[in-house]
Amino acid sequence: MSDLSVSMSAAGGLPQAPVLPEAPPKVTVRNLNFYYGEHHALKNINLTLGANRVTAFIGPSGCGKSTLLRIFNRMYDLYPGQRATGQLMLDQTNILDGKLDLNLLRARVGMVFQKPTPFPMTIYENIAFGIRLYEKISKSEMDDRVEKALRGGALWNEVKDKLNASGLSLSGGQQQRLCIARTVAVRPEVILFDEPCSALDPISTAKVEELIQELSENYTIAIVTHNMQQAARVSDKTAFMYLGELIEFDDTSKIFTSPTDRRTQDYITGRFG
Amino acid sequence: MAVQSDIVDDAGPYDRAKALSAFRFGDVTFYWITRLSAISVLLILGGIILSLIVGAFPAMKEFGFAFLWTQRWAPSADPPVLGALGPMYGTLVTSFIAMLIAIPVGLGIAIFLTELCPQWLRRPIGMAIELLAGIPSIIYGMWGFFVLGPFLANTFQPFMIKIFDGVPVLGAIFAGPPSYLSLFNAALILAIMVLPFITSISVDVFKTVPPVLKEAAYGVGCTTWEVVRSVVIPYTRVGVIGGVMLALGRALGETMAVTFIIGNSFRISSSIFAPGTTISAAIASEFAESDGLHQSGLILLGLLLFVLTFFVLAGARLMLMRLEKKAGN
Repeated sequence: MSDLSVSMSAAGGLPQAPVLPEAPPKVTVRNLNFYYGEHHALKNINLTLGANRVTAFIGPSGCGKSTLLRIFNRMYDLYPGQRATGQLMLDQTNILDGKLDLNLLRARVGMVFQKPTPFPMTIYENIAFGIRLYEKISKSEMDDRVEKALRGGALWNEVKDKLNASGLSLSGGQQQRLCIARTVAVRPEVILFDEPCSALDPISTAKVEELIQELSENYTIAIVTHNMQQAARVSDKTAFMYLGELIEFDDTSKIFTSPTDRRTQDYITGRFG
Repeated sequence: MAVQSDIVDDAGPYDRAKALSAFRFGDVTFYWITRLSAISVLLILGGIILSLIVGAFPAMKEFGFAFLWTQRWAPSADPPVLGALGPMYGTLVTSFIAMLIAIPVGLGIAIFLTELCPQWLRRPIGMAIELLAGIPSIIYGMWGFFVLGPFLANTFQPFMIKIFDGVPVLGAIFAGPPSYLSLFNAALILAIMVLPFITSISVDVFKTVPPVLKEAAYGVGCTTWEVVRSVVIPYTRVGVIGGVMLALGRALGETMAVTFIIGNSFRISSSIFAPGTTISAAIASEFAESDGLHQSGLILLGLLLFVLTFFVLAGARLMLMRLEKKAGN
């Protein structure tokens, strides 16, 4: 309770990013419902992710934030008994279209997970692997792309001398940045972050947050987080979810200073959650 | 600390040193029991090797290293001539063909069961695989002799012989005439017998791949095949190779089923459709009516199988180490 109220005051005291002008919508969610078998997990969600903006999703555990994120790249499709209804547009493409090529969708919508997930191969291969799925390029071009991606993941200087070491030999924070670099290497349009810092120490967290800010210049970003300071620091818009419903969705500065809904206010001041 | 000493005081007066010494006695006993169990493995192994060497000594003295490259096996000739080339060749060839068939099929079943199979089909297939492992080898032998052998000799073998007739190398490998009893039939039976080892171990290790790692691979846009090839198998390769080695060990040593269907011929033929023999089949079919130098020769064959198995498994382990190095670990 006490540290939550501290975090609240810290969030309020942070220099807020200036409110950016409304961005054109990149992802549009209309009347989205989601079911785990019989369980109705998401109820009638409506929102848009602005192009080149960072949208944060906050809310207590089990409120459906991660579930929503996993619909954006149809990750739920891997598991039987899970289904979504409604409309979910990525530009002009309906993501929920049953005939959609999922591999192409996932190339356009990349994802970074809660735990670092380096593939069991070398650092170089971790990056090259994803690129090779879509493009046939020469060794020297590939070297360039790998370097670019690792620079994009703010990892190049730390690993440039050991590209042939296993990805698993890196520290947790480096592994997570490797995963971000890997996601960026495929040149997606949208990047989904599912609690990307929850397994990281504060310094790594700061690096990843900085990276997210930089990435938003070129990508549309959605981030799920339990850390409200983090949402306040990195996002332009914040969505508060509770029990499968979208309670409030507005500019981050407004959500954290003058939320309209009582439940949002209770949550960010630490009265529940 | 204060809290802890309070608890000890509350427990009432008792002799702490005595209680501890009782524990220590228990620990020492435990240590020795486990240690003796571990040492007994070494003793038994050493004993087996020693008695094999003692039993094989007369044959070793008589034939020397020529035993390894002599093809002729004539225990009743005068003087008797014994050579291990035929059985060694048969053992290696049948095991090789068996693994050639069993590894892709076994891994295929494991991948299907863990990644693709609808839930309701999982149990029946899984149980069938387990049951396959439970069938005694003599049953495989009889089935191979009465059903599989005639079937292969009437259909598959003539087909292959016809296709590869006149082709260099392959024509010699698939040469006629078709036979009920052949190296290939034995290898096929071996493949069926070792399949459950590869499949059930692979299924178990495939299940240890964290779902989030697979999701990450799907997340960069991999197809199921790419996820399996680039993430699941590399992640589990130590376990998979362990399963394959277990299967290989079984294939090298399998006796009963092979004896039934391999034809027990010591002559080496380039064709895999010709009868042959393996080390264990040769021992099983001749040991009962052997004596003197003949028996010693058979024991020497057994010793060779021991050495052969050791080298094959050591080679597999070496390969594994090189794989590890390539992956950057």
